[in-house]
Amino acid sequence: MSESLNYAEAFEELQIIVAEIEKGEITVDALSEKVKRAAQLIKICKTKLASTDEDVNQILKELEESGE
Amino acid sequence: MSEIIQDRQVFSLLEVARSIQKTISDRYKSSYWIKAEMIRLNHYKHSGHCYPDLVEKRNGTVIAQMRANLWKKDYERISKKFLETLKEPLKDGIKILFLAKISFEPVHGISLRILDIDAGYTLGDLEKEKQAIIERLRKEGIFDRNKRVKMPLLPQRIAVISVETSKGYSDFQKKIADNPWNFRFFHFLFPSVLQGDHAVAAIIAQLKRIKKVVNRFDIAAIVRGGGGDVGLSCYNDYRLAREVALFPIPVLTGIGHSTNETIVEMVAYRNAITPTDLADYLIHRFHEFLLLVQKSARTVRESALRMAAEERRKLQAEVKLLNSAARNVSIKNSAELKACMERMTQHGRFICRDENQNIRQARMALERAATKLIANNRMLAGQHARLIVREAYFFLRDNAQRLTAAQSNLSAKSLAMIRENHAALVNAGRNVDNMDPKNVLKRGFSISLLNGRPVVHVDQVKAGDALITLTSGGAIESKVESINKTDTP
Repeated sequence: MSESLNYAEAFEELQIIVAEIEKGEITVDALSEKVKRAAQLIKICKTKLASTDEDVNQILKELEESGE
Repeated sequence: MSEIIQDRQVFSLLEVARSIQKTISDRYKSSYWIKAEMIRLNHYKHSGHCYPDLVEKRNGTVIAQMRANLWKKDYERISKKFLETLKEPLKDGIKILFLAKISFEPVHGISLRILDIDAGYTLGDLEKEKQAIIERLRKEGIFDRNKRVKMPLLPQRIAVISVETSKGYSDFQKKIADNPWNFRFFHFLFPSVLQGDHAVAAIIAQLKRIKKVVNRFDIAAIVRGGGGDVGLSCYNDYRLAREVALFPIPVLTGIGHSTNETIVEMVAYRNAITPTDLADYLIHRFHEFLLLVQKSARTVRESALRMAAEERRKLQAEVKLLNSAARNVSIKNSAELKACMERMTQHGRFICRDENQNIRQARMALERAATKLIANNRMLAGQHARLIVREAYFFLRDNAQRLTAAQSNLSAKSLAMIRENHAALVNAGRNVDNMDPKNVLKRGFSISLLNGRPVVHVDQVKAGDALITLTSGGAIESKVESINKTDTP
């Protein structure tokens, strides 16, 4: 998963895959790839629920720079 | 009493004051209900008395103004009633309906002594004002503005407007930190007083700060609790309500009170009522997202398994069909094969029988032909033998004659050749004798030897050499005196 997909994009793509699978629009040949991709996307979403990477110092710095 | 000075009736100030006092007290015998706007309460903490400034305005202009008295005892009673009814103390800038006695004191002049204030009137007026603000916000088209702002799937980064030490803020923090799913939130405090006269300006200032770093946050939350229900009229302030309504990210409120919903709460994206409920709502959003992800995962898994099973089933059906078809073909083919074999066997048998017969006939024909041939050959052989014997006899006879002729020819020729060779031999013997060295020496020739070897050239010999000269009849030993070379080499 080299691409840095954010969770919202990952979730959107996941919903598309789910819809495709539910509608039976996926061939058996493509299924394996789609399932693998879905697993990656699910991981991105679940990781987001349990982690944040916000930086308090950065926010303070930006407030300062904006003229406080 | 007045006195006469220079034909004029003169009154002392006190007499005038007493006269006015008498007139007023005669004229205003009872107390009256009066409505006015109390622009300032002027409460003196030391004495406990208040001296409210009362005005009446028309189109924004003051058209009447008076100062009133509210003595300590009356103030305490009325203020308590206000807190019960309005959840607000008596304060500046409210409209009041009050019961007052009009009096005149010679020292203080005219005054309105407030005996009572109708809290219900003020409440109604505030409510009317609140409705007016709501109406204004709607007319400006911003009442629902914040509700239409897009809420992120996960409201994870929270700009909290609260008081650091407040119970509401601590409840909120505890709640979102201790969720059973280990969801993670990020929150950052923008401190502000949350009630009373200064709250409007303070909250607006923090909202403006948040706007500067708005990209860092998903939502803003106004969190309050544990401070009682007094002094929340700031949340009905037009300026604050407008700021919240126009805020670029969702504003959630958890102000924690039991009074009527304030305008700020109405225009906020969501009014969670209490800080705990606000935290619950955020956790709930996370949980909903988790459920959606889990549901998607389940759907993908189940659909994939179902598709795989379906494919397997199809494949098995195909295999079964193929097997059965193969068996049918096999059965059919083996029957045909058997029939074919039988036909071939039969055919072969016929062929064999025919061939046997042919062979028998051929053998008989061959025997007959052979017998006949042998008989013929026997006769021919006899004739040939006789012919050969005769031929041989003639051949041998011719050859014997030719041999005899050759023999006599050979004898004659040999004799002639021997004679010729004998004459040549005698001639040759004579020549050989002439060439013998002895005979040569006899004819006056000699041979000189140096060191036992013949001298064939004068260069071989130098003065002093010992020479042996062979000549007819013996050898001469000599020493070389000198050598004279002839010019010819």
